[in-house]
Parts: sequence; C-alpha cells; structure tokens
Amino acid sequence: MTRLVLSGNSAQSYAARLARVQVVAAYPITPQTSIVEKLADFVADGELPAQYVKVESEHSALQVCVSAAALGARTYTATSSQGLLLMHELLHWASGLRAPIVMGVVNRAVAPPWNIGADHTDTIAQRDTGWVQFYAESNQEVLDTVLQAYRLAEDLAVRLPVMVNEDAFYLSHTVEPVDVPDPATVDAFLPPRTPRAVLELGVGARVGSFTGPDHYVEFRRQVARGLESVLPTLTEIEVDYARRTGRDHGGPLPTYRVDDADAVLVTMGTMTTTARKVVDELRTQGRKVGLAKLRVFRPFPAEAVRALGATADRIGVVDRSYTFAGLGAAATEVRSALYGRTGAPTVASFLAGVGGRDVTPQIVHRMFDALLSEPGTGPAWMDLEAEREVTVRG
Amino acid sequence: MIEVRFHGRGGQGAVVASELLAHAAFRDGKFPQSFPFFGVERRGAPVTAYARIDDRPVDVRTSVTAPDIVVVLDAGLLRRVPVTAGLRAGGLLLVNSPRRPEELAGLGPFRIAAVDAARIALRHGLGSVTLPIVNTAVLGAFARVSGVVSLDAVRAAIESFSPARQVENAAAASDGYTDVVTAEVGPIPELGPASPRTVPLVLPEDPVASRSSETLPTADWRSLTPVIDLGRCTRCNFCWKFCPDNAIEFDAAGWPVLRGEFCKGCGICAAECPPRAIAMRAEA
Repeated sequence: MTRLVLSGNSAQSYAARLARVQVVAAYPITPQTSIVEKLADFVADGELPAQYVKVESEHSALQVCVSAAALGARTYTATSSQGLLLMHELLHWASGLRAPIVMGVVNRAVAPPWNIGADHTDTIAQRDTGWVQFYAESNQEVLDTVLQAYRLAEDLAVRLPVMVNEDAFYLSHTVEPVDVPDPATVDAFLPPRTPRAVLELGVGARVGSFTGPDHYVEFRRQVARGLESVLPTLTEIEVDYARRTGRDHGGPLPTYRVDDADAVLVTMGTMTTTARKVVDELRTQGRKVGLAKLRVFRPFPAEAVRALGATADRIGVVDRSYTFAGLGAAATEVRSALYGRTGAPTVASFLAGVGGRDVTPQIVHRMFDALLSEPGTGPAWMDLEAEREVTVRG
Repeated sequence: MIEVRFHGRGGQGAVVASELLAHAAFRDGKFPQSFPFFGVERRGAPVTAYARIDDRPVDVRTSVTAPDIVVVLDAGLLRRVPVTAGLRAGGLLLVNSPRRPEELAGLGPFRIAAVDAARIALRHGLGSVTLPIVNTAVLGAFARVSGVVSLDAVRAAIESFSPARQVENAAAASDGYTDVVTAEVGPIPELGPASPRTVPLVLPEDPVASRSSETLPTADWRSLTPVIDLGRCTRCNFCWKFCPDNAIEFDAAGWPVLRGEFCKGCGICAAECPPRAIAMRAEA
C-alpha cells in the first residue's frame, strides 16, 4: 500500500491502471477531464499496457468500449456533463449488450447556461439506461469503488456497465491523501476478466440484431435480472475488498447515527461529509438526527430505504440536481420505496448544491431545522440567491 | 366484426391493400381499422398487415391472431410463413396463385379462393415480371369472395387513394373480381379456434446471435432465381460486384456461381450483366 496525495480524477486513473484495463477510449477535448490525460501518461510511459483510442466524440468513445468489451476486453472511459449527454444512445447499447464497461463521470451542471460546477443532473438524466450508478464522497472512495465496479460489472450474474461518479471540483480537482493498494492486492481481488463468448476476432457473429416483440421483452427481463443481482453481489464484493484492504464503504446506503434518529437526511456525494459534521453538532445539542448516504442510485436500494424508514419519522432527501419534475429525483425514489408502508415517515425533498453552489453547514442546519419543524412536501430550493443578502458587484 | 390478415412481401403492396380495404369499407358506411406489422423493412421480406371492419367503431388495438379472412399476396409464402395460423375453420383463405383453389385444399378446412393476380397486374402494366404489384387485383377478388366490401367501393378507394396508376389499378381490381375462383367446398369439419402457435423459446443469455450471417440462409423470401448462361458470360465480374448479398462466387476457372442460400432474387445481377447472360426464373 502506498499513500499518495491525489485528486479525484487521478484516483480514477490510478484505479483504472490497477485494474489493468486493456482498452481506454477517450474524446480528449472539453468536457473531458484530467482522468484520461493521466491515463494517457500511464500508457505513454509504459506503465499501463493498454490500447488507448482517441476518438472524435463521446458517442464514439463509448462505442469503442462497447465493441472492445464484446471482444472480451476490460475497458474504461471517462466523461462529464454534456459529453455524457452525447453518449446517451450508446449507454443503452452498453447495458443491452451486457458490456461490463466502467466509466468515470465527473458530475457537472448541464448547460444552458454554461456551468462546470458540481451537479448531478448529467448522471441522473441517465437513470433509465441500465447502468449501475455509484456516487462517491471522497477520493479514497473513488479509487476503491472503481476497483469494486469492475468486479461487479464483470460478475456473470450482473454483466452490466457501471458509472463511478464524483462531484466536480469537490473531488475532481481536490487533492487529498489516498491509500493506493499494491498491484498484487488488486490482482488477487480482481483477476483478469473471464468474458463470456460474445465476439471473437476472425469468427463471424452478430450482436444486437433485430428482435421483434416476440423476444425483445425477454432480453429486457434478462437485463432486469442482472440489475437485481447488483446489490447482493456488491455485498459479497465489499466483504472481500474489506478483507484485503481494510476498507468498507458500507454498501449502497451507509448510515450514520440513525438508530434512534427522529429525522434522517439522505445525501449523495461530497455534501455527505459536511452533513455528517452537522449531525455530530446537532447530536451534542441533544437533537436526534442521523444521516444516510445514497452511494448507489441505480439499482435503487429500496430495501435499505425501507429499513431506514422503519425507525425514522422524518426523512429529508437532498438532490444536487433539478430534474424539471415535482420532486427531486432521489426524493421521488425514496417516497416510492416507502409507499404503502404503515407508519411510513414523512419524506421531504430539498434541492441544494445545484450548479456547483456550496452546500454549507448552515444549509445543512436549515434542512434539519425544516425537517424537525414543519417539513413541506417539497421540493424546497435551498439557498436561492434572492433569499439571502449578497454583495452585488458594481 | 370481420378481422382480416394480409400476408405479402415487402414491395407487393400488402400494406397498401390493407389501407385501401379500410378506405373502401369506410365508403360502404363501415368502421374500418388497418395497420401493418413488419420487422426488417426490406423489399421481399415477409410483411403482415391487419384490417378490421365493423358496423361500429373498432375498440381493439392488437394484432389479428384469429382472423376470419386471410389474404396471401405471394403463394411462395404458403410454405414459409404459417399464414393460416389462427384462421378459424370455415374461414376464407384468398391466395394470389395461378393454381386452381382445389389444389390448395391441403391448407386446411377453409373456404379457399384463388386469383391469378400476377397475370392481371402484368396485363395492366402494374409492376414488373420480377415484382408484379398484385394488391389491387387481389382486393377486387376480395370484394367478390368476402362480400365484406363492394367492388364499387374498392374501385373508388383505389381511384382516390392509390399511390399511382389509379386507372390501371381500378381496372385490375375489376379483373380480380371477375377472375377469382372459389373452391367447391364440401362439409367443413367443426373445429374450435385454431390452437395458438407455440414457439419454443430458447434465447441466448445475451442479445447475441452466436452464429455468423454466413451460416444463416437468408434467401427464404426469394421468388425468382437468377440463371446464369455461361455460354454468354464473359467473366466480367459485374454480377459479383453488384450483388448486395454476396450471393455470387467464382469457381476455380473464374466462372460465376450462385450461392442460392443467400440470393434473395432481387434481379440486380440480371439488370447489370453487360452480355445479358443472366435471366430471372420464377421459383417452382
């Protein structure tokens, strides 16, 4: 094990190198990130014997990964915001063709207006593409999750692509100490991919051919079975990873001080760290609050949410995105998971941190205050410019 | 409600026939519904179209699985597509065929009608020898043997809505009405609704066809076969160059050889052959 000071982007690159990815495809221009720059360095310096394919768009980047994965390769790509949106069509091809691609995504706001701050709209908009989605809280979690993501994606019961998402700036450009496991440790945890026979060089075969209504739905059902296998498989993977590295990220919905909590805030990504500190503060004041981090958004951990709802009276869900709907995307999922349960908690929806705005301790306090007093049905927009005193330039 | 299923090949006009039938029924004061169902949109590929005709608005939106009437625009489909699936005993089966309907009696306990629509179409200059447009002649025959729509309404629908050659198509419908022959049917055994067709479902775990297209014969919709006259062939390779399905190969001496399992009978090789050494011959 080596401890390095790494950015979230470099944590992605180091993890891909440790995973011994065989094909990296990247569109190298904005909104691309330093993730693929670092990987290009690794390949150029002979530290990663991978095929590095530069392409003309994110759409093509993912197509290269889909094709290489069909040939049995372990593949990686990375993108962000508008680039991810351009990939949308190929995201469906990847999951439908059961391609175990792992992709790093730097969560950035979607234009217009142009903005490169942390915001989950880009990945939430890919909710219905059949990809597994992780949201990371720290650079350590980024690195560990990429390694776990390969085990998960390539598990023969799962066989689905995985996104490992990190907040722009708060992780992507933040440097902090990261424990980088030894290659031997990773090799033992993540052996080379044992691909199913999909395509073979020199042997004619077809993938994704026309399939009418008589069989199409059965293929969709197979994808659904893969998704159903994700969370049980992740549990096994995390146990093994913890045994080898000492680190356990707590499954799809790790909780903090929820056991006797009246009010629980559900967060995603980096805001979790700040919110955890606020929970400690409120606890010292005797207020019974807790925290749950939505680490896996797809497949949605509905069982874990129901377990949470069995004890908490009030749940507030913080979405770092506005999805043009009545409620935040995660809040909608949480409410849906709790629907029809006797004694189900009130679920409030908060929108915070949209477009890269800071989610400060003060904002977290205000969300807990609202939750403990009169939680509306939402969504409550936190920290709107018009509602606070600002210094206007000029 | 009368439910009709059309079977044809892409390019023969099955879809248009179904639409024209709807227009004709509407003119007769009925409430029609018509829609096509197809997979690969290719000339020659099997195509299905559905029509429903009722005295009140049609209140179902599903494919027709238990038709009262089946119309087959290409007799070659009889041995490749289960055209009679779900057709109830005593139902009407109308086939474009030069054969006598009695010769088709083996298809099942149905009222069987036959009309040589290809001959009628060619008589009126509709389509080509390789692909006669038979739909309007068949529709005229349909008016006669089904009694569901009048010939006048069929002709009027063709004159208003046929995409081209309205006069010739209306004349073809009249000829179909005149020429169609119905088999003298004996007593039809009392049968319940046909048993649903069951397809064994063996899917790969991934949406992958494990075989190459090379191993899948794709010529099953061919109705014409190119016959190469090696006496006129100059081994110029044009047939090989223009064949869209790589169905032409060469023997050791460089003479073209047809790979019948991939030839769809499109006739491009015959059209492009400089010494006119290729003729398209109708399949038996």
